[in-house]
Amino acid sequence: MNGATKTRRLAIRGGLLVIYVVLMVLMILTGRRHTILIDNKDAADGSYSAINGMEVAIDRQESAEYYPGDRDKAMVQGQTHKIKVTVFDGNKTIEKEFKVPLWSDVMIISVPKLVAGIEPWIEPFTMAEQIQEAQESGPPAGETSFQSIGPAQPMEGEQAPPTP
Amino acid sequence: MSAQKKFVKFFSQYAVVIIFVVITVAAIPPSGLSVKYILQEIITRLGRNSFLVLALLLPIYAGMGLNFGMTLGAMAGQIGLIFAVNFGISNWHGLLFALLVGLPISVFLGWICGLVMNRAKGREMVTGYILAFFINGIYQFFVMYMLGSVIPMGNRAIVLSRGYGIRNTLNLESVRQSLDNILVLHVLGFTVPVVTFIIIALLCIFIVWFKKTKLGQDMRAVGQDMVVAEAAGIPVEKTRIVAIIISTVLACAGQIIFLQNMGNLATYNAHDQTGFFAVAAILVGGASVTHASIANVFIGVMLLHSMFVVSPLAGQKLFGSAMIGEYFRQFIGYGVIALSLVLYAWRTRKAAADARLSLRGGANGSTKVRAVKNGANGAPGNGGQA
Repeated sequence: MNGATKTRRLAIRGGLLVIYVVLMVLMILTGRRHTILIDNKDAADGSYSAINGMEVAIDRQESAEYYPGDRDKAMVQGQTHKIKVTVFDGNKTIEKEFKVPLWSDVMIISVPKLVAGIEPWIEPFTMAEQIQEAQESGPPAGETSFQSIGPAQPMEGEQAPPTP
Repeated sequence: MSAQKKFVKFFSQYAVVIIFVVITVAAIPPSGLSVKYILQEIITRLGRNSFLVLALLLPIYAGMGLNFGMTLGAMAGQIGLIFAVNFGISNWHGLLFALLVGLPISVFLGWICGLVMNRAKGREMVTGYILAFFINGIYQFFVMYMLGSVIPMGNRAIVLSRGYGIRNTLNLESVRQSLDNILVLHVLGFTVPVVTFIIIALLCIFIVWFKKTKLGQDMRAVGQDMVVAEAAGIPVEKTRIVAIIISTVLACAGQIIFLQNMGNLATYNAHDQTGFFAVAAILVGGASVTHASIANVFIGVMLLHSMFVVSPLAGQKLFGSAMIGEYFRQFIGYGVIALSLVLYAWRTRKAAADARLSLRGGANGSTKVRAVKNGANGAPGNGGQA
């Protein structure tokens, strides 16, 4: 085997290896699946409020109706997507394009923020963060009672109500 | 040749097929299944299994018998699928990614398998079977320990709660039937996964074309007589290794096609029976240790799987227990392999006896001597007897 043949063979093999790696990367980029949470809730600080009825469609998927307090999910493949929001009040339609970071599994879209033009309306979502946030914001105001299991027992040291 | 001799020859050649057809046809009425249901199941199973069974052809052409080592390729395909699920790659992208991951692994395992088989010429089948057990141990170690500890796994849902090792069953929902559903045709009430069948057809065309290439001709020459092939300047050992590598790679792709249709992966034992059922199918289709064709593959898959469909229900109706039908599956599968091997040995011995007889003064002696040299029924092959 002469030198030219050797070089050509090496070049072909190198080229094939590059194509192989490129194909793998392409499959990850175009084939990775992400969960998109579509959220229609009020802001905790009251900066925006939930939309009173709307229809949301992601890419060419079937649209779904959302009312205040609703949260649903959609599965998407790849990184660039479109969201179409049709607000029932005034029949306003908003279409936006968004990108999902490659290694992010779950993203949350706050549609009220999107409609109000508040950035960022799409954020990464992790369960751990949600739990931490819920703990930081403290227990809900007011007394929690569990009616089904009877009246709450008085804590130690606490005065029991007088019995009739 | 007398009519009786003709009948004996025909029966010995197609005994497995005949017995199977009789058993399957007899089991249909008690099963109570409609013909339409059975046909739909056969179409689905043809798409699911044919690729795996086609992977057995090239080693048979190369005289290496039935490649039980194809299990190695199946393991490579499974590793590819584990990574596809780990990265969350869905649809056909996930399948292609799994194939790209499994390909180098299957080439490496096929090369090892070929090297080992070259050191066990004439005993390739049993060597492949045992080698599959050995590589299975390494696979178990890799999946049970390495994944999640040495190789980080991002998807915690597929990792065992202890933090490393993959769960017993993987949900392949992200790639489930993604190949089958690219294009589905509804013909006469039957659902046909078109793309899967196109891929199988392409493989058949590849095999027909490959047989006509220089390498394909070399394989057939090696399969007929290794000594003569060596004398003719064919690199026998290299050709045999190539045959096994191609078979292992095809088995890798076949296992991916099989699992995408099933929709879940039994991580630690999905590959256990891959070689066994593929071998049983090709034998049921009328192939032997030394001779096989594409037609044998399709006939075998149809017959074996129609029996798999009807036997549990036939067992339920006849014996009051579906488990009887399940046992029947296993019994028939192993029985078919055993019967084929026995028939192969019997035919080879009979051909040798006939040749000896003709050398003592019978007519057409030279023809019969050639028949003995080439194996039973004039079929190519000098190895593969386990």
